[in-house]
Amino acid sequence: MIRIRNLRMTYHGAHAEQQAVKGVSLDVPEGAFYTLLGPSGCGKTTTLRCVAGLERPDEGEITIGDEVVFSSARNIFVPPHERNIGMVFQSYAIWPHMSVFENIAFPLRYKKPRPSASEMRERVMRALSLVRLDGLQDRPAPYLSGGQQQRLAVARALVAEPRVLLLDEPLSNLDAKLRDEMRLELREVVERLKVTTLFVTHEQIEALTMSDTIAVMRDGVIVQQGAPADIYAKPTQPFVADFIGKTNMINGRVISLSGGNGSRQASVETALGTLQCRAEDGVANGEAVAVTVRPENVALTETGQIGIVTNTVTGTVETTVFLGNMLDCIVAVGGERLHVQLHPSAALGRGARVRLRLPVEHCLAMRR
Amino acid sequence: MTALPVTLDITRPVRWNIDVARVFAISIAVLACLAVAVLLVTILWLSFTDGTPGDPQLGYTLGHYREIFIDSFTYRVLWNTALFLVITLIVAFALALPMAWLVERTDFPGKPIVFTLMTVALLIPGFAVALGWLFLLHPRIGLINQAVMALFGLSAAPFNIATIVGMGIVEGLSLTPITFIMTSVVLRSMDPSLEEAAAMSGAKPWQAVVRVTLRVLWPGLLAAAIYVSAICFAAFDVPAILGLTNRIYTFSTYVFRQLTPTEGPPEYGGVATLSMIMLVIAIAMSWAYRVVQRQAPRYAVVTGKAYRPRIHALGPAKAPAIVFVVLFFLVSQALPLVMLGWAAALPYLQTPSVEALAQLSLGNFRSIPTELLVRSITNTAILMVTVPTITMAASLAISWVILRAGTRGAAVLDFFAFLPVTVPPIVFSVAALLLALFVLRGVAPIYGTIWILILVYAIARMSYGTRMTNSALIQVHRELDEAAQVSGAGTFGVFRAVLLPLLAPTVLYAWIWIALLSFRELTLPVVLATGSNLPFSMLVWSYAQSSSYGRASAAALIMLALMAPILLLYWLVARRVGILTPR
Repeated sequence: MIRIRNLRMTYHGAHAEQQAVKGVSLDVPEGAFYTLLGPSGCGKTTTLRCVAGLERPDEGEITIGDEVVFSSARNIFVPPHERNIGMVFQSYAIWPHMSVFENIAFPLRYKKPRPSASEMRERVMRALSLVRLDGLQDRPAPYLSGGQQQRLAVARALVAEPRVLLLDEPLSNLDAKLRDEMRLELREVVERLKVTTLFVTHEQIEALTMSDTIAVMRDGVIVQQGAPADIYAKPTQPFVADFIGKTNMINGRVISLSGGNGSRQASVETALGTLQCRAEDGVANGEAVAVTVRPENVALTETGQIGIVTNTVTGTVETTVFLGNMLDCIVAVGGERLHVQLHPSAALGRGARVRLRLPVEHCLAMRR
Repeated sequence: MTALPVTLDITRPVRWNIDVARVFAISIAVLACLAVAVLLVTILWLSFTDGTPGDPQLGYTLGHYREIFIDSFTYRVLWNTALFLVITLIVAFALALPMAWLVERTDFPGKPIVFTLMTVALLIPGFAVALGWLFLLHPRIGLINQAVMALFGLSAAPFNIATIVGMGIVEGLSLTPITFIMTSVVLRSMDPSLEEAAAMSGAKPWQAVVRVTLRVLWPGLLAAAIYVSAICFAAFDVPAILGLTNRIYTFSTYVFRQLTPTEGPPEYGGVATLSMIMLVIAIAMSWAYRVVQRQAPRYAVVTGKAYRPRIHALGPAKAPAIVFVVLFFLVSQALPLVMLGWAAALPYLQTPSVEALAQLSLGNFRSIPTELLVRSITNTAILMVTVPTITMAASLAISWVILRAGTRGAAVLDFFAFLPVTVPPIVFSVAALLLALFVLRGVAPIYGTIWILILVYAIARMSYGTRMTNSALIQVHRELDEAAQVSGAGTFGVFRAVLLPLLAPTVLYAWIWIALLSFRELTLPVVLATGSNLPFSMLVWSYAQSSSYGRASAAALIMLALMAPILLLYWLVARRVGILTPR
């Protein structure tokens, strides 16, 4: 539904030029919820704005449905008002001089063919009830609460049945509790309408809970793309592992490799000793790698156990924080500090000696 | 939606998107800025030439600059101007600063009234007030002089308003409102915790004021002083009414005298050169203002933090404070205007007496030819409608291009749009006159028509207009435009449906303000108005210049009467926009 090929865009500032997008290609299938995730300045918003037509890229091609809306090679640029898209902005961009009704009706007034007055009214009402704002149509827009404004923005973006829905960090201005509610609600509305959605966020939790596909961006390029569970469980780069969820990163060097592509195993020499890990396809013997293991995957084992068990290390608890559903610890092991999340029943204190197991299936070796 | 292969699109013609609204806006903006540039280039060019309008061959020369710099009279005028400026500043700050402090930092009663009166005083034409002072303190006809001479049997008048000191005092009184407004902004933006900290450190209140408040406010006050100096340097009406007939010149009246010499034809090249010198000085002042103003934030007094300045209780000092403020308005505004009424009602100016009262009549009002009255009021009405409309349309276009269109060279537009505020009005009118006489005479004969006034008025107000629309547009979040764009509105649609309604209050406010300024404008028409395009303010001027003071006063009073309803409208709009409320 949305197809981007080799998108490049440079901002010409007053003092410097900044290359915001450096060759992004992606495909969003019809009806999918596709998320661009990354830290600020990674080019995710610029990519979205290029799809909307609010920025004019230097190079590349963007197709929405079967229409090429931008092509540098063929000198095509369809202005935003002819792209038939819906967009929710970070600031909501609710027009303060209009009522709720007028805000939602606005896209319909510019739709071709223009719906009749009664049809317009009916569609506005349907959009209002979709976001559970029934009865508020005559309220001046500035008199809505933050959450209501957000819903109004969603209703306005969807009322004209756009080909695609673009969401530019729509939840970032809400307080934490409201954000949790809206996350689910937004996902539900999008699912019900089966509208193709491109979503931009820097919040990993939003990306993980809402998306069909996540593309992690860094410095103007997509570094990894996949389903939320895959991105979380199988990051291919230290950056992705670190950006999504908390992770331990242990530097080391590959001393041996086994198995074929897709199921490679590596022995990695680290400050903690030799660790057995799953390995990225690109990893070669003798290479410097980072071994990542998520805090919740580190397990406590009996200190009294005899013999050397694979991937077990011994360390000293430095700090513990009780979080109710878990015990968050920092354990010093061989000069490294491991972040470990344990079951709250593991009553550990500062200075306790612990033996930890780093399960092979959860240790990932990737190029640094 | 059928999924056609994307490659089929190759058969579609290449799309050329010409955004008509965008091209239109850019054209207007560029044209407006070009007009400013053309005017200034004209005087620069003519300052190096020798000849008269229509001369097929203009010779190039540095002679005008040489002559002006050799002429000792030039230095005399410069000295006069400097003295005039210093006296004005002293008077304006001595009055404005205490009043601003009273209104901003004490429990002075009726603050909104003071603000409203200050705004009204800002708009009362300086030449009307200057006329009133002439009637009070003119060495020959001044009533106070006559009374004091009669009382003490003096043979010479004790006071003379027609001096640099007199002109400075009157100008200072008339610039007090703007000084008040600028200094009250400075006082308002000061974080009171700085004073409180000084008090905690054991400083007595007056020590806190001297050691902390004044030091912290210094950059802001200095910026205000430079700003007021620039206005004073460019001021024409007060020095012209008071000094021109006595041959006491400040720079702007000197330029005018050179342009309309009492004998012989004007030397246009010389006038252009004087205008250039004036322009350079004015630009230097405006540059100094920008430098000082930019340094002010270094003190980081103006934080975004919401605070209420500490309000001092006046206590027993309240009554004297009220008397001070009331006296200011009475002496600076009411007294001269009452004098206008007195002079207008009498066949000739005389001290109040039973005989004088017996002579009161409307004769002066009746003696103004109806045709002249109608013509000049019509011209002023045309100016008051067209000038703000053109200015605000151009300002909207310029602001949109600078802030929204994302075109390169927006900074150049911004510079030219800001330039008019720097240029003294007399320089503008000289430039327009020379342009019309030397360049446009064959192409577009606008000299002598209302058009030349409309264009010059509009250009002169452009920096005010763009500053208003710029600050209003900056406050409109860009995503509001973008939301309309993705909703299907084109450039014009976004402007009409989103920007215009949101900017409307500011545009309306600025429109009325410019209309009021156009109403009271004297400096621009004094050079450019001929006969058929005479605006009403010129009526007062012409009568005053021919010493028909009774009729000049009558005309000035008619002018003020006509202004009253527009002032009321302004007040209503300003209150709605929230500009008159102190905070």
